[in-house]
Amino acid sequence: MYQQNGEEIFVIDGHVHLWDATEENIDHRGGEEFIQCFYDYHTTFTPEDRQWDLDEYRKYGPDRMVDDLFATAAADMAIFQPTYLTDFYTEGFNTTEQNAELAAEYPERFVLNGTFDPRDGDEGLEYLDELHDKYDIPGVKLYTAEWRGDSKGWRLDDEEAFEFLEKCLELGIENIHAHKGPTIRPLNRDAFDVGDIDDAASSFPELNFIVEHVGLPRLDDFCWIGTQESNVYGGLAVAAPFAQNRPGKFSEILSELLWWLGEDRVLFGSDYAIWNPDWLVEEVLEAELTQEHRAEYGVEWDVETKKKVMGENIADLYDIDIEAKRETFRNDDISQEFGLEDHYASGDPAPADD
Amino acid sequence: MTTHDSDGPALPSPPTRAAVRDRLDRVTDPELDRSIVTLEYIDAIAIEGRRVRIDLTLPTAWCSPAFAWMMAIDARDEIESLASVGNAHITLHEHMHEAEINRGVNENLSFTEAFPDADDDVEAVRRELDEKARVARQYDAVQTLLEAGLDPDTIIELRGNDFETAERAESTGTSDTNETIAVYASDRSFAVTVPATPIERYLEKARETDLVTSTDDILFRTPEGEPIDPGSFDLVHRRGRLAQVNMSGQGGICDGLRKAREARGI
Repeated sequence: MYQQNGEEIFVIDGHVHLWDATEENIDHRGGEEFIQCFYDYHTTFTPEDRQWDLDEYRKYGPDRMVDDLFATAAADMAIFQPTYLTDFYTEGFNTTEQNAELAAEYPERFVLNGTFDPRDGDEGLEYLDELHDKYDIPGVKLYTAEWRGDSKGWRLDDEEAFEFLEKCLELGIENIHAHKGPTIRPLNRDAFDVGDIDDAASSFPELNFIVEHVGLPRLDDFCWIGTQESNVYGGLAVAAPFAQNRPGKFSEILSELLWWLGEDRVLFGSDYAIWNPDWLVEEVLEAELTQEHRAEYGVEWDVETKKKVMGENIADLYDIDIEAKRETFRNDDISQEFGLEDHYASGDPAPADD
Repeated sequence: MTTHDSDGPALPSPPTRAAVRDRLDRVTDPELDRSIVTLEYIDAIAIEGRRVRIDLTLPTAWCSPAFAWMMAIDARDEIESLASVGNAHITLHEHMHEAEINRGVNENLSFTEAFPDADDDVEAVRRELDEKARVARQYDAVQTLLEAGLDPDTIIELRGNDFETAERAESTGTSDTNETIAVYASDRSFAVTVPATPIERYLEKARETDLVTSTDDILFRTPEGEPIDPGSFDLVHRRGRLAQVNMSGQGGICDGLRKAREARGI
């Protein structure tokens, strides 16, 4: 939990990965380009003294991940968002199965999401069933720009995609995280396009559509869709680290999001290991909206808003009881390992909001 | 600023660097609506007689091939529009599709010839980005008019023939940025003078997107291209602001990636 002015802010990192981009796992030049591109993002928005070298970035392993997320209680919980990329990486880049091992070790701390790809047809539907049976996944991460054989991508408003969304509904997989941000290989097809969220979200009002990276570089389209579809949410991964070296820009983007979507529909995510919550959470929570933006947009980045964006909003989507978690964390494996018992025991529990 | 056709008879003198740069400055990154010169995408300009070679690197190898294509052909076409240039040769570096793009641009192929497995032509993408650029530029133009004291009801009714380029500010005012333009509002009952640049930048995109084709067309529109209903003026204006925030946000990302890449020496 982050302590600020006597308040405790419970942090659920809504977007983390455990990936393997070692050279042995790369079987397409796209795999090397992909990790290099990720690394550019890492160095661009990470303070110099917190940057990793490329080798440790290729594969950091579960111990380091747990340490980075939880050792200083930078995050209290985290949600795994898989990225398969099986055309680029022999064993996949960051699959549900790979994430599952660590998630199973600390089930109180991690939420494990799955994925689907409508181009897999019936096999894909079966795989979704399997993920549900095996891991009881509460959500999926979707990568519409993923390259699969000759295909350069797919859309969430395709007929085939709707079949999978039907299936999610049937299985009670309610949280649909779509990567709508920096992408890979769409030739002239506009894979940044968030337009497909619109139809999917209005056709499946029971599902929650979390647009990861708030549609950047299509923030405008995303916000406009968000004003019309109340089940559309914005995931801050990529936008968050602007707080560190482009504070004015961060202030502006956050103001836009709070104005268009409101404080209940913006969700924090670090995109670990692109960025590390061990410094990012503090940067985001210590960031301020500029005077001009507060006047222009009439929004605030105050402690109530921070609590919602950093944890409460995601907790609502994933039925996480923050108070019960705080109780649990007074004595769970992680707290014992890092000596955090007092951290979770201290202070009066904040009154529940609802 | 502007370049003139050479008036030498037989052997036109080679283009100047300044003239080439000026032409390149008109090429925008379609996603950011900013000049590729300002964005520092140009690595080198080499002039060999009537032949001009341009080296170009974009912020990431992943930059959309369609965007990369647009910048490369726009650079070629702008430079070749100089009478003193016979041929412009463009070399894009460090891009996942540099081979296809360089071949296509220098052999005058179309996008679909250069990328046989592309689904569509690049024009639809270009159009969409031009429309976004128009919306973002409208924000500046409308903001300029609001600051000059015009009210929303007046602004949404303005047409091209309500604007008249004012006399250049006397003596010193020769730079474009100091130019002003007069707006005649409310059946020409009064006029205000405003900086010309935001208005002209807007008009350029409004014409490119075919929203304004005659001097009698309503100038300012919703992002969907419709005239603005008085009740939705504020919302439309906010959407213009949002389009700007989006572009400059993406600009921040691209700029950061470019610096990271340079720092690693690749």
